[in-house]
Amino acid sequence: MITDSAKFENYFKTFRDIIHSMQGDLSLQEVLDKVVRKATEALNAKGALLRILDRETDLFEVGAAYGLGERYLSKGPVTTEKILNETFELHKVQIITDIWNAPRVEYPQQTWGEGIRMMLDVPLAIQQKVIGMIRIYLSEQRAFSEDELDFIVTVTEQCACIIERVRLMENQREHFTHLAAHMEKLSSLGRMAAGIAHEINNPLGGILLFSSNMSKKVPAGGPLEKGLKIIIRETQRCKTIIQGLLEFSRDEKPQKIFVDINDVIKTALGVVANEFYLRHVVVETELAQNMEKTFLDKNQIEQVFINLLLNGLHAVEDHGQVTVRSALESQQNKITVEIADNGCGISAENLKKIFEPFYTTRSSGTGLGLSVSYGIIENHEGNIQVFSELGKGTRFTIEFPILTENPNGREGA
Amino acid sequence: MKPLRILVIDDENVICDACELVLSEKGHTVISMNDGKAGLDAIREGAYDILLLDMKLPDIDGMDILKVVREEKPELCTIVMTGYSSIQNAVDAMRKGADNYLGKPFTEDELLQAIEDSYGDR
Repeated sequence: MITDSAKFENYFKTFRDIIHSMQGDLSLQEVLDKVVRKATEALNAKGALLRILDRETDLFEVGAAYGLGERYLSKGPVTTEKILNETFELHKVQIITDIWNAPRVEYPQQTWGEGIRMMLDVPLAIQQKVIGMIRIYLSEQRAFSEDELDFIVTVTEQCACIIERVRLMENQREHFTHLAAHMEKLSSLGRMAAGIAHEINNPLGGILLFSSNMSKKVPAGGPLEKGLKIIIRETQRCKTIIQGLLEFSRDEKPQKIFVDINDVIKTALGVVANEFYLRHVVVETELAQNMEKTFLDKNQIEQVFINLLLNGLHAVEDHGQVTVRSALESQQNKITVEIADNGCGISAENLKKIFEPFYTTRSSGTGLGLSVSYGIIENHEGNIQVFSELGKGTRFTIEFPILTENPNGREGA
Repeated sequence: MKPLRILVIDDENVICDACELVLSEKGHTVISMNDGKAGLDAIREGAYDILLLDMKLPDIDGMDILKVVREEKPELCTIVMTGYSSIQNAVDAMRKGADNYLGKPFTEDELLQAIEDSYGDR
């Protein structure tokens, strides 16, 4: 039974303020600061401390504090394993009145010194998931009715939802900022590559013209002819590498046509079939029977598949296996293609770098295949992801939106 | 092939020298210019059968020179050269009225073949 209506009105006001903070453009830290301040005020307490559960370390980290002295903060709340180790009742307030003997109080001396005589531990939980907890510090002991405690739990759970939402939004923002920075890096490298390519093509032009001219003037079959032929061949190799660079930097708009992606996969498989045959590597295909057509640039996507298939081929030993799957996810209006191998895999550290231009582990690679592929998929509003484990293999997953109308209009259709 | 008068416009001396060597050995007369302005003057004042034109010059865009050639000397057979060897470049140049296209770097045979292909049937 609610006995003190003024008190509950106060709680409601607190609750409303916190909800409002969600509608504003507050950062996670600002929301947490507001929660501890409001909780302290609503309960007429000395202060409050909010801890967020770090899912990676499984520890409660201090998120915000209010009304507590610097000295106490520097000592008291840091170690938190004890609280975590105790069975945590998800939807119940833990009341601590015996500061000197309660197992949850790690520094009774400091706590007492800070003028704290009573504590409330309120879990921040969403359904069955704990995301943190708020500890409220009172300077004197007083009684809390069951209703009052229930109310505190309810309000705190709402706070938990808000915190979780703000946290998700911040993560998303961070993710997008990261992506944007990544794209910026790729495009500036692309511009640089184009500049370098042009500068190098001129001296190569001189080398190729002079050497091809001279090779006809020297005695056939002699050592001079042999050397000049090598110069010609290697210069032409440089030309091929530079063409790859220019392709990477060109950032061409896809010329989309309405196609069945399974056909694109089959064409790509046809191109690499000989290389796979020579290395005795089997390609397993599991292509969706019910595939829907979509608009995409056949040549660009074929290039992506060829890149990934050849990467797979290089990752496996002779007699390895590469698997290509396609699937229609009509509910999400998308198509997924998966190219997986059971090869050497990629370490977590290298995995971060594989889409960066010029990153390669193969002596003959230009390090451009995957970054070109990444750009192509981006231009298709698609998504490319990689999963890998050392010694077990690597799996690339590509998602395409199903487009029933050509986004480029009639051009290119 | 009969001896031709060939003008090379390229700011890279090594390209000019190499073209001169290769083409003069085949009996052609070669004049080189190192920038767009000198190149344009040469086009306007001289009588050439072939123009080998670099697309990236320090002062004037190769495409603009190509435009002048098509307006003032429509008979001049023009082969453009560029370091940005992509199909798109070639398509653009041909649209603007080039007779042929050479992506740098190219061999002696490719150069001679390009001249043969674009001038041979005149």
